[in-house]
Amino acid sequence: MDGVPDVFHQYPLHLDASTKAVSAASLASDVALQNELKELNTLHRQIIALETPQQMVPPPTPVNPKRSAQITKMQETAAAASKKGNYKEAIGLYDFAIKMAQERPPWEASGLAREELSGLYGARAQNFMALQQWADGAVDAELALEMKKVGNTKAWMRRAQCLREMGRKEEALECVRFGLDYERPGPDKAGVAELETYLKELEK
Amino acid sequence: MENATNFTDGFNSTNGTFEGFQSATPKLGFWSGLLLPTLYLTVLVGSLYTFSSLYRKRQASKAAQLEPWFPSHRTRDIYLSLLHMDPSEGGNDEKKLKKVPDNVLKAALLRRAVEDIQRILQLRTSKPALQNLQQRGSVGDDLMQRFQRAEKEMEAEIKDVVEEANAFAPNWGQVIFQSANEINQHILLKERTAEIEAQRETEKEWWENKKATIQSDFMKELDEEEEKKITQKKAGGSDDDAVLVEAGGPAQAQGGSKKKGR
Repeated sequence: MDGVPDVFHQYPLHLDASTKAVSAASLASDVALQNELKELNTLHRQIIALETPQQMVPPPTPVNPKRSAQITKMQETAAAASKKGNYKEAIGLYDFAIKMAQERPPWEASGLAREELSGLYGARAQNFMALQQWADGAVDAELALEMKKVGNTKAWMRRAQCLREMGRKEEALECVRFGLDYERPGPDKAGVAELETYLKELEK
Repeated sequence: MENATNFTDGFNSTNGTFEGFQSATPKLGFWSGLLLPTLYLTVLVGSLYTFSSLYRKRQASKAAQLEPWFPSHRTRDIYLSLLHMDPSEGGNDEKKLKKVPDNVLKAALLRRAVEDIQRILQLRTSKPALQNLQQRGSVGDDLMQRFQRAEKEMEAEIKDVVEEANAFAPNWGQVIFQSANEINQHILLKERTAEIEAQRETEKEWWENKKATIQSDFMKELDEEEEKKITQKKAGGSDDDAVLVEAGGPAQAQGGSKKKGR
């Protein structure tokens, strides 16, 4: 124990006998501590829900396939609804799927969560666009891009379209240019070509 | 005995004025002959030792007085507080006397590992910059000392967490930091999502306002056109060019208000 203090600050914590929730009622004013305890209790509940032997936290991979399967199923239903023109229904389904993907146990591989969320946000953006809700579409497309910047030509395109529809042509131009910077070396040549033509159209 | 004589010989050869002294020494015993050199050595070594130990102590206390790099490790404190919780607090029931359940401790340990990951990342990113600054002499040694102390503490902290994790389940220590890293990524993702989500309402509101203004502008435009047509008809002139120029209005208005909205 080189240089590490062997002392620690003892918090007056209380453990609820039935729920096992940790609290510190006497330190209610310490916001950071209260937040930390909230996080701790959430994590604890997630550990209790584990089905692994001895309820040990598993390594990030492999991921329990149950949740992924459910999300994929919901995505398919939503896509079917969208095809039929039930955009509102599809958006509701995507909302639900996004929530599920967000509530993944945090120790699972984050790359997977990013991938899933990017697809879901992108699809929801498309549905918002079909309903001409450009503001929602733009935000969703941005979220899709935040999750996955490379290999996401559709999301770049959607964001640019939404911005243009709202009359923010300069931002749309910027968006397409950024997108091209990210996507040009990628394999999605058709998507890049689409972006290029859109860029020319905007530059007119 | 030889040593003693050598010593005196040496004395003799270097300095002739000690003749009288030499003549007195043979009368002294063996032990008293050694007394002087031993005394000399003891004083020398002793003073050196006290100086070095004092110096080191002072250095150490100076280093300890330096402000730590990180604030107190809250999750570590929580974990240890849970570990040392008074078992009688749970109630008088015998079953409830049992200590904190393992799952709570596991969660607390995982939170502690997440905090460690954040600190490691912070140390790693600031190290090259700090070294660069120190080479140029832009920052003092104090800062570097603080940094090195933080690094040392971090190493020990990680070892400690790994040991604790292995106590819960064999080999958990090898993966706990992987899990913690994913949790950290998850937290970052959540923060970014929340940031972008926060824009949604303002964006929507902005767009609704904009849509309303565009619509009212458009309606006004139509009305004006009608009025103009009527007046033009009254005046008997048919000037299509004027109407065309006016029709360019809404697009210009759109372009102008774009910057206002952002």
